[in-house]
Amino acid sequence: MDFDLEDLVNVEQTFYEDGYKDGYAHGRVHGLIEGRALGREKGFEMWEELGFYEGFALMWRAILGAQGGHDERTQNHIRHLLELIAQFPRVNPSAAAAASETSSTEPELDIPRLFRQIRSRYKLLCATLGVRPTLRAADGSSPSPDRPPSDDLADTEMGKAAAAGTTRAKPERKKVWTVHDPRADKPLGGTELNF
Amino acid sequence: MDDEAFWSSDPNVLRDTEWDKISSEFTNAGYREGITAGKEGALQEGFDDGFATVGAPIGRELGILRGLCSALLAFLSPADPSQSTSDAALANEVREIAAALVNVRFSDIAPPDLEAIAHAREHLEPSNAMTQDEDAADLTDPAKLNEEIKDKRDMENLEDLMAQVGSSNAPSVAPARPTTEDVTRLKARLMSIAQGLGLPLQWS
Repeated sequence: MDFDLEDLVNVEQTFYEDGYKDGYAHGRVHGLIEGRALGREKGFEMWEELGFYEGFALMWRAILGAQGGHDERTQNHIRHLLELIAQFPRVNPSAAAAASETSSTEPELDIPRLFRQIRSRYKLLCATLGVRPTLRAADGSSPSPDRPPSDDLADTEMGKAAAAGTTRAKPERKKVWTVHDPRADKPLGGTELNF
Repeated sequence: MDDEAFWSSDPNVLRDTEWDKISSEFTNAGYREGITAGKEGALQEGFDDGFATVGAPIGRELGILRGLCSALLAFLSPADPSQSTSDAALANEVREIAAALVNVRFSDIAPPDLEAIAHAREHLEPSNAMTQDEDAADLTDPAKLNEEIKDKRDMENLEDLMAQVGSSNAPSVAPARPTTEDVTRLKARLMSIAQGLGLPLQWS
């Protein structure tokens, strides 16, 4: 009988690896589904608010244009507001940021700061128009970098991962909206937030 | 291994069950580790996908419509109510559109996650070897995938309940939720009003 001792020693490892491979493929599907649900929700929340400011500015630009009014200050606010909104990413820049992680000279996109600028520009525009700013549902909770991470939903992901005993060290990458490692990125850490 | 196998006269039975036991033990252990690693590795990718392809564009479109309404309404309702009456009807229509838009929720207009539905179906197939997944049905319900989304949905349900209670002796039938088609119609109405006023609007 032909007997390969090596095969016997490795047999457990082989079973494990086969199982791991299948499990990984299955887990990936679940991860994609779960991540997608969250990303949809966050993208909607953020861009619904930004879109509101954008629509507001667009309509006033059209109105002022039709009236032939040349109020320098108002035009200026509108232009600035639209420019700021145009800077806001419509794609979670984590992929792009990861690609450029080697070049630290790249100017960082400070999302919470940009968001604050947009909100205050909107209020300035309202003031010059003599219109009362609409309070967005979440206006009070502007994303703040020094917000304690404990109320961060991403922490639950962290917790899960830790509980599952997966302690592989991940490279710290720059991500703006990170699902499972908010602290990898200090200045932008609190971005996945509730508005 | 059960007793019958142990006492069986055929030694192959014993050997086979032992073999099966080792096989399934290690395969399952690998599967468990694998599923965790696979899930963790794919979360961010899924998030980015959902953000870019669904959440951001749909949110922006709805937000823009709401912003347009807000500005137009402010323009049409001057501080001095004794002014033009022709605009009053128009203002009312815009107000109506605005109210309808406010009522729209993401869950009303979000497209279904087809991949999630397909995968949930796979889970339900009895022939499928994927084990111990009681969460098959949960895959298609975002509220069951994430605590925060669940909280938001709970809040919305509460709002619905309050609205029903508030509308006194209204029938217990919940009003139909708005759809994507409703939003499209509201947009068309709004755009035609703007056009009528000679207000050019466009965004990409």
